[in-house]
Amino acid sequence: MSQKKYWQNLGELKNTEGYQKLVKDEFQEDLPFAEDGKGILDAKAPRRDFLKYLGFSTAAAALAAGCETPVTKSIPYLNQPENLTPGVAQYYATTFVAEGDVVPVIAKVRDGRPIKLEGNPLSFINTKGEGTSARVQASVLDLYDTGRLRYPVEVAGKELKEMPSFEAADKKIAGELSGTQVVLLTSTLNSPTTRQIISEFLAKYPGSRHVQYDAVSYSGLLLANEMSYGKKAIPTYHFDKAKVIVSLDADFLGTWLSPDEFTSQYAAGRKINQKNPEMSKHIQFEAVLSLTGANADDRYLHRPSETGAVVLNLLAKLGGTVSAPAIADEKLKKGIDQAAGLLAANKGAALVVCGSNDPNIQVLVNAINELLGANGTTINWANPLLTRQGIDGEMDQLVKDLNAGSVGALLVYEANPVYNYHNAADFIKGLQKVKLSVSFSDRADETSALCKYIIPHHHYLESWGDAEGRTGFFSLLQPTISPLFKTRYFQTSLLNWTGNNTDYEDYFKNYWVTKLAGQGAFDKALQDGVVEPAALTFAATAYNGDAVGDVASKLNTGAPAGKTELVLYQKVSIGSGAVANNPWLQEMPDPITRATWDNYAIISYAMAAELGIKLDDQYEVEFHKPVVAFTINGKEVKLPILAVPGVHPNVIGVALGYGRSEGAGRAANGVGYNAYPLVSAKGGARQYYVTDVTDYKKTKDTYDIAYTQTHNQYEGRVEVVREYALDEFKKNPEAIPQYREELAEDFAKKTGDFRAEATLYPVYESPGAHWGMSIDLNACTGCGACTIACMAENNVPVVGKNEVKRSHEMHWLRIDRYFASYRDNTEGDNLNVVFMPMLCQHCDNAPCENVCPVSATNHSSEGLNQMAYNRCIGTRYCANNCPFKVRRFNWADYTGADSFPDNQHHNGVGKLDDAVLMMNEDLTRMVLNPDVTIRSRGVIEKCSFCVQRLQDAKLEAKKSQDASVIRDVKTACMQACSAGAIVFGNVNDKESRVYKIRTQEQNQRAYYALEHIHVLPNINYLAKIRNTGRPVGVKDEFAGKKAVSPEVHH
Amino acid sequence: MSLTKYESFVREPLVDGDKTYSKVTEDIVYTIEARPTRLWYIGLYISLALLLFGVYSIYREVTYGVGQWNLGKTVGWGWDITNFVWWIGIGHAGTLISAILLLFRQGWRTGVNRAAEAMTIFAVMAAGQFPIWHMGRVWLAFFVMPYPNTRGPLWPNFNSPLLWDVFAISTYFTLSLLFWYSGLIPDVATIRDRAKTKFRKLFYGIASFGWTGSTKHWQRHESLSLVLAGLCTPLVLSVHTIVSFDFATSIVPGWHTTIFPPYFVAGAVFSGFAMVQTLMLITRKVMNLQDYITIGHIEAMNKVIVLTGSIVGCAYLTELFMAWYGANVYEYDAFFRYRLAGPYGWSYWIMMTCNVVSPQLFWFKKLRRNIEFTFIMSVVVNVGMWFERFVIIVTSIFRDYLPSSWSLYYRPSIFEIGFYLGTFGLFFTCYFLFSKYFPVIAIWEIKHVLKTSGENYKAKMEDLEKISAEEFYARTHQH
Repeated sequence: MSQKKYWQNLGELKNTEGYQKLVKDEFQEDLPFAEDGKGILDAKAPRRDFLKYLGFSTAAAALAAGCETPVTKSIPYLNQPENLTPGVAQYYATTFVAEGDVVPVIAKVRDGRPIKLEGNPLSFINTKGEGTSARVQASVLDLYDTGRLRYPVEVAGKELKEMPSFEAADKKIAGELSGTQVVLLTSTLNSPTTRQIISEFLAKYPGSRHVQYDAVSYSGLLLANEMSYGKKAIPTYHFDKAKVIVSLDADFLGTWLSPDEFTSQYAAGRKINQKNPEMSKHIQFEAVLSLTGANADDRYLHRPSETGAVVLNLLAKLGGTVSAPAIADEKLKKGIDQAAGLLAANKGAALVVCGSNDPNIQVLVNAINELLGANGTTINWANPLLTRQGIDGEMDQLVKDLNAGSVGALLVYEANPVYNYHNAADFIKGLQKVKLSVSFSDRADETSALCKYIIPHHHYLESWGDAEGRTGFFSLLQPTISPLFKTRYFQTSLLNWTGNNTDYEDYFKNYWVTKLAGQGAFDKALQDGVVEPAALTFAATAYNGDAVGDVASKLNTGAPAGKTELVLYQKVSIGSGAVANNPWLQEMPDPITRATWDNYAIISYAMAAELGIKLDDQYEVEFHKPVVAFTINGKEVKLPILAVPGVHPNVIGVALGYGRSEGAGRAANGVGYNAYPLVSAKGGARQYYVTDVTDYKKTKDTYDIAYTQTHNQYEGRVEVVREYALDEFKKNPEAIPQYREELAEDFAKKTGDFRAEATLYPVYESPGAHWGMSIDLNACTGCGACTIACMAENNVPVVGKNEVKRSHEMHWLRIDRYFASYRDNTEGDNLNVVFMPMLCQHCDNAPCENVCPVSATNHSSEGLNQMAYNRCIGTRYCANNCPFKVRRFNWADYTGADSFPDNQHHNGVGKLDDAVLMMNEDLTRMVLNPDVTIRSRGVIEKCSFCVQRLQDAKLEAKKSQDASVIRDVKTACMQACSAGAIVFGNVNDKESRVYKIRTQEQNQRAYYALEHIHVLPNINYLAKIRNTGRPVGVKDEFAGKKAVSPEVHH
Repeated sequence: MSLTKYESFVREPLVDGDKTYSKVTEDIVYTIEARPTRLWYIGLYISLALLLFGVYSIYREVTYGVGQWNLGKTVGWGWDITNFVWWIGIGHAGTLISAILLLFRQGWRTGVNRAAEAMTIFAVMAAGQFPIWHMGRVWLAFFVMPYPNTRGPLWPNFNSPLLWDVFAISTYFTLSLLFWYSGLIPDVATIRDRAKTKFRKLFYGIASFGWTGSTKHWQRHESLSLVLAGLCTPLVLSVHTIVSFDFATSIVPGWHTTIFPPYFVAGAVFSGFAMVQTLMLITRKVMNLQDYITIGHIEAMNKVIVLTGSIVGCAYLTELFMAWYGANVYEYDAFFRYRLAGPYGWSYWIMMTCNVVSPQLFWFKKLRRNIEFTFIMSVVVNVGMWFERFVIIVTSIFRDYLPSSWSLYYRPSIFEIGFYLGTFGLFFTCYFLFSKYFPVIAIWEIKHVLKTSGENYKAKMEDLEKISAEEFYARTHQH
């Protein structure tokens, strides 16, 4: 036998001690935590066993290989780009801009693809936080929207003819433009460079003008502010500075002006400091239950046509010299008295906001705020908002001019009046009279399809640019990816047609380098993403109350006449409808109705009874809802209904933003009903309500509405939801700790440790990290941004309406919404609404884990309940045994990750909607987070506490040998929450926020859902506190009665 | 037919008619040797058609996913597991009859045990389809097997009741099959000996394992039967106990119940006997076996049905009592609000009527011995038992802890129904083939009881009848 020895290095040859250690630790490196676990190479099965089992695994592999797996190619870089490590994310500061909205964001870019957005914490617009709205979270998907145009087109009838090049397009269009009067129709534009380019452009074509048009108008507010303050602008509001907030029809937490900023401010006033429990008081007056109304402490119902009367009464009660019409409704009257009393007592810390688009009403609201001393305290005129500037009259004038034939050319950017102008027919007629019409829309939407040319604009994540969300608050856009398609800046087109051959990119850079005086400052600004003052300033502005008397008499018109009225509202997810082709948003359950993929008529329980619709078990468990024929403005409109508590008995609500055309995209096409034609124009101001609903009757038809929550009450199950009135909580702050002590006495007599005494199985320590989360039900507004953030971060599949209808939605995180009325009064002002974010509770004594036959779900040493997707065989036993029902099963091949190729196209049962197929296009799949496995058909998935982020943080901590890195780790939901309701961390770390909340800061409110069944969740909730004198919860029914007897659940 | 002097008033004869050993063989083997009847062909083709529909349904489910069924995030098990438990329950009678009744020396089992055992095996085969195909990734089903592997090795989770199921059912199936087959050997040898064609000789020759009927063979056969009976007896009790653990060890209100093991076993015997009745009544009629499966057999089985039905009824009431007495709101709601009432309330009351109320009619002897009534009841009981499993499974999970997740109305898709019908197809295809190619009645066991039963036996007693009682006593006690 040969004595030769092969060696790779000297260490191996000499077999030194250091080398042996190196071999042993090759793959094993401990975290900075103290740990004495065994290395992987100490495991009992030695490597040579490999051969022994090889035969078997070969056979098994041959068996599995029978199923062909689709081949996907990945192509490596030919030249490694500088500063880019494949697999390591890069972050760019940019700005979300859409229809005037401005949100500075940080885009996470992986391997050249932006995949996730977070708020830019340097910006005051984000209240210096990372929270964003669902729409901002979802906007990254719009970049990869298959509905986008891929090149400039000439529209010929229904056909879209590709134009060979931009030069060719320029030549054609510039020729047609010369010497005409141009109207540039856009949504609100607040980009300083763009505004400058527009003014240069308009100067080139004398007689031209720029019309700003907002899909949902704030014209009333702008005009009223002009009358009251001499400024056609919108101030910034500071809900955090208000002890009393009164909102009249304004859904400021959901859709009104700047909801994510307001949510953050609002939550600041709602969070309880348990040493001195105080919180703001919020009273909502509205007709149909909104997200904001659902969060209010007290809520009063009125018809939309009564808003004027309510405002007049409030103003009169507060000492305004106006005569107010009598209010017939006793409850409403009481509400106005209550609101007036509280407002008067909190002058300087009170705020009244109103969602009406009637300038007269807004003038009165200004008068009220003036009496309350809000001007300069809760209403700040230092840096007015620039996100809505459209004036209804200007748009109406444009439509007139178009029809008169006095417009030579119409250029449309980010506006879609064919879809969302209330009198679209007139607009279309006018549009057809214009010789040249050019759209810069990214798709062949309703308006673009009727224009002559479409020169698609870049997506904001592909663009340079700037935005001025508030006067003096600038944020910059920088591209995070090179344009995916042959698209061009709309600004470049204008520059070109002005005769300026600069590209917008250079124009923008020159502008900012000049403005900031230097390349260095510009680079810094790009890096920060924002150019804002160092501190917020507060300023009042001169008030002029002259108009009050005049408008008061206009509004004092007596009681409403019509039988029933209609409110047109926006959904938190879809808003005005511009984002209708975003499947994430379409599938996001509405916070109130929990419905997806549709709009419908919201009616009260009383109206349902009147229509003969029984709201019984049957109504609850069946998707097909009765279709009701409403006669609105003399026209019959058939809509499916959903009965919602807390809706005025004489009011129905219909959401705007649905009923898009085919050109909007495959997901938007045919979803819902377009309610914009129902918008009425009263005295030149668009009104989002109709007083003239003369008749309604149930038809024989039914319509399927796909909603994700069937049952609305929590059935007195206080172990699930705990809520108290503020006074009650102050009186008895130890109620929850006491309950928990009693439980411990019953179930863990010896040691007080549930874990040790409540399980048959061995108890393992988690010596390093033990992850935990705390969710404050008081701060959570239910906006649902976290659900979309979770989808984006974790590649949660979209399943489409057809599958949601079959309870197959995949959301890892959902917001349970309970209507908790005191003693079954579901109709009136006693309605309490609870929003409860529900996700995997990562139980330490998890019922899902011990029932899995193959241990596919198991517990990590860090307290995570983890899923080994590869191991899962899909028995669904874990889902059945999960008391929180957070486990989601892949019922079909939603992701294209199945072992069976081409099995998404089938008819009959479980047919997948086009939206699902769209989500599986190569283009759309670019949004997927490469750090998270795509789950295949037949496996269970669920919240992982964003384990990829935790691993990342641990690696970072290991590299830097600094455990505090782990303290900063955030889950996607936590990061997206503007309200700061979610706190995540390592509970073994005594310095962590979550540990402090549980044990010191909020221990009086901390409870675990279903604590009595001893699953030992790692998520705790903080009880909901309502600042109201009304009775709250179900306390007296269950007082003194324990929910469970000790012997039952072990 | 009046009773003779030394005939029992209490015990009916186990075989009717004037039978000799060769007549018994003729009667039973006749159907195997003759050409099948038209009726048999029709039955077989219908069964095959159902089986094919089942195969297509499974094809859809395996190719496109469990989404082919109308299950959802809350109701994760529906018809699949309901049918599984139902078929497993049916598969209890055979082994009970052959094993436990053998140990208890119940002579009447001979007429029905062979068919009942066959039925058990086919029912377990049908049952086994559900836990297999209900998996999301059935091609990885082998993960549940504890085999050495290179993944660590990674073992299945021995804490999981589903894994216990795998072992319990496979053991039960193996032993039942052995028991059934070992019983078949002497009869197969009989057929072999009568066979006239080469193929027949070869087939039955191989199947009879060289049985010669020697005393040694019989002695070994008897011992084997006793050993297998001894092994099967605990299995009859354990299989359904373990199936009930799928539910009892969970935390779902309505599942988490300690009463489940005995309650499930009683229910299984209940439904198994009902299924035996259904099949036997048809078989004896179609194959002209009224002499071997007598009204006495039918009555005996009806007595078992009324006993187990009452046990099941008792369990239902105990459950309700405990739900109230336990003062656990979740459990109280599960039973009183969402089971007795609520959207699926109707299924609870079908279950109650079919399983508890209607079997009580069997207290009347007249009804116990009425063939038509028994047939109807046997079907009613199995409908009831199907609903029992549906009630336990679906009405417990459709509304559990968090009201937010309460389910929509669950109704099966066409492919869920197809899968169920498919298992009927499987069951009846097997049963038709069995009844054609194997003796549906244990010939050797009938011959065994013929020594003390039947007209032939009575004829032999004729001279005994004539003598006086004293002489008879003297003769029978002369040793």
